[in-house]
Amino acid sequence: MNKSDEIVVAVKDPTCSQTMNESDDIVISVKDLSIGYGERVILEKINFQVKRGEVFVILGESGCGKSTLMKTMIGLYPPQSGEVWIEGGNLVAAEGDDRLRLLRKFGVMYQSGALFGSMNVLENVRLPLDEFTELPEPLKELVCLAKLKLVGLGNAANKMPSELSGGMQKRAAIARAMVMDPGILFLDEPSAGLDPITSAGIDLLVSGLSHHFGITFVIVSHELASIYAVADRVIMVDCQTRGIVAQGKPADLRDGATDPWVHRFFNREADASHSVQPT
Amino acid sequence: MASLPPAPQTECEASVQLGPDGLARVVLKGRLSSRTVVDCWRDLEQSLRGASVKTLEVDVSGVDFCGGAGFALLRYLNMGRMTLGAKVSVVGLAAGFQTLFEGFTAQDYDKFHPQPQKSSHPLVEEAGHATSQMLDDLRGQVDFLGGLAANFPPSLVNPKRMRWPEVRHVFELAGANAVPIVSLVSLLLGFIIAFESAQRLADFGAQIYVANTITVVMVREMGPLMTAILLAGRSASAFAAEIGTMKVNEELNALETLGLNPIRFLVVPRLMAGVMVAPLLTCYSILMGVVGGALVMLGLGFSLRLILHQMAISVHLSDLWVGMEKAVVFGIIVSGVGCWRGLQTEQGPSAVGLSTTRAVVTSLLLIIVADACFSTISYFLK
Repeated sequence: MNKSDEIVVAVKDPTCSQTMNESDDIVISVKDLSIGYGERVILEKINFQVKRGEVFVILGESGCGKSTLMKTMIGLYPPQSGEVWIEGGNLVAAEGDDRLRLLRKFGVMYQSGALFGSMNVLENVRLPLDEFTELPEPLKELVCLAKLKLVGLGNAANKMPSELSGGMQKRAAIARAMVMDPGILFLDEPSAGLDPITSAGIDLLVSGLSHHFGITFVIVSHELASIYAVADRVIMVDCQTRGIVAQGKPADLRDGATDPWVHRFFNREADASHSVQPT
Repeated sequence: MASLPPAPQTECEASVQLGPDGLARVVLKGRLSSRTVVDCWRDLEQSLRGASVKTLEVDVSGVDFCGGAGFALLRYLNMGRMTLGAKVSVVGLAAGFQTLFEGFTAQDYDKFHPQPQKSSHPLVEEAGHATSQMLDDLRGQVDFLGGLAANFPPSLVNPKRMRWPEVRHVFELAGANAVPIVSLVSLLLGFIIAFESAQRLADFGAQIYVANTITVVMVREMGPLMTAILLAGRSASAFAAEIGTMKVNEELNALETLGLNPIRFLVVPRLMAGVMVAPLLTCYSILMGVVGGALVMLGLGFSLRLILHQMAISVHLSDLWVGMEKAVVFGIIVSGVGCWRGLQTEQGPSAVGLSTTRAVVTSLLLIIVADACFSTISYFLK
């Protein structure tokens, strides 16, 4: 089955079909967004859009504000100015039930997995169903087990988070993020701290979920191998210019970037000033 | 911003046809989401549970959205959980749905076995577990005291070994920052003791002795004890949390691999600060308690001169000495236990919280035990 068919199947949600100013194809629209801490501005007046079903990667060097940008996009941090439109609603301005309805449209996987240590994996995944639905118990269990199988943790439902490896914790966190069937998943550094095989497994999972379920992914990462493996489109943020210095397909940026810093980044070339000079 | 339009209420329709010879047909239409499936489930339960169904056909050709909950419902029906013993088939699945539906099968469900609830341990097992834990605790205490004995005296003898900036920092956190709470608690304590004793002593026409009572009680007992309790709540917990977090973050491992002894590096400065800060705070607490008592007595109509005279003749230097001895010992207990429990922190999200709780509980317990020992010894030495 082709990807576009799947998108219609999986994301055909009447609550998602409402459009205000955006076309149906755009699920996230960031407009003139400025972020920072207190007086300090990290990124200034940035604009970009994420299309339905694409794997969109935000990258940049360490400390340039990638994670802060993502946390602003999901409503954890208030921006200094600007708007974040998700599925036709401005998350920055939304309050009360409107905000809650917007929050249900996406799931988030945090860098550490952020599983609740006092609950086993099944209970972690089931938590949103317990809180937000009135599904009968057997169905809740079935939904969770199906999601866990989907992320390759079919046999880990009874385990505690402390018994899982880093990669398994991230998979469980993805299952929890997916349990309410959101159309968008935000992943913060999904490959960080993982060995290449586990990291490739996460990449495969992201590609599979995007391809088969039409889920839109917004990923914060600076792992080049993962970016080449999964990303449909990337934007690169830079703390010097406080803006987006490059955007496009990763392979195009690797081969055709004119900006020397972007070229170095995509080709993993060190800054000459970092080399050790024997005295 | 204009508010979002309300979500459309597209519902799911479920119709059940029960035919002869145990044949049944369920037709599902519309939207199978986590919201709509709830009503669907209720309808199906009412119609199918208890009905004699041998063959069930679930027609989903009219379903236009199927989320995780929808697939769970279909799988539940397909496993025959509502129609025990019946042969169930799901028909009319769109190509995309079919793939997703087959992604989680009845065999996958059967592989999952919920963990049985842990039954309560038999008494003998519980007792053995508690004894083993106590012995581990004792071993840990001996290790810790040994480490302290090896590191604290050398740091006193050779002040260059002591990390004085750390001592100053802890002294400020545990001492100076505790002044407001110590003031309030001690002042109110003085009030309470004065009022309570004034009521009783009034019966004997001896209200003037409230000044004596408050001074002796604050100097010998309540000053050191209340200060120690406040220190246990503020500082023992803070030490345990701080060192526990360092352990969880592998900072203690980093210290050891750098060749630095965590006891000398972390515990000795805190112990030093605790030993210094406890007597000072105790003196301050005594002063505030006495002020509280004096205020009550002034309110009862006694002159300040008389109150001060009664206070001065009621205590001797030896009483103050007992109070200060207690304060030093309580300071050692609070700092030592806080650090010890911090070093004992294990891995896991609740470990630091557990260490903090243990630090406070153990400190309070040992403070009371030490206080009882002091009272007994001073009674027999008198």
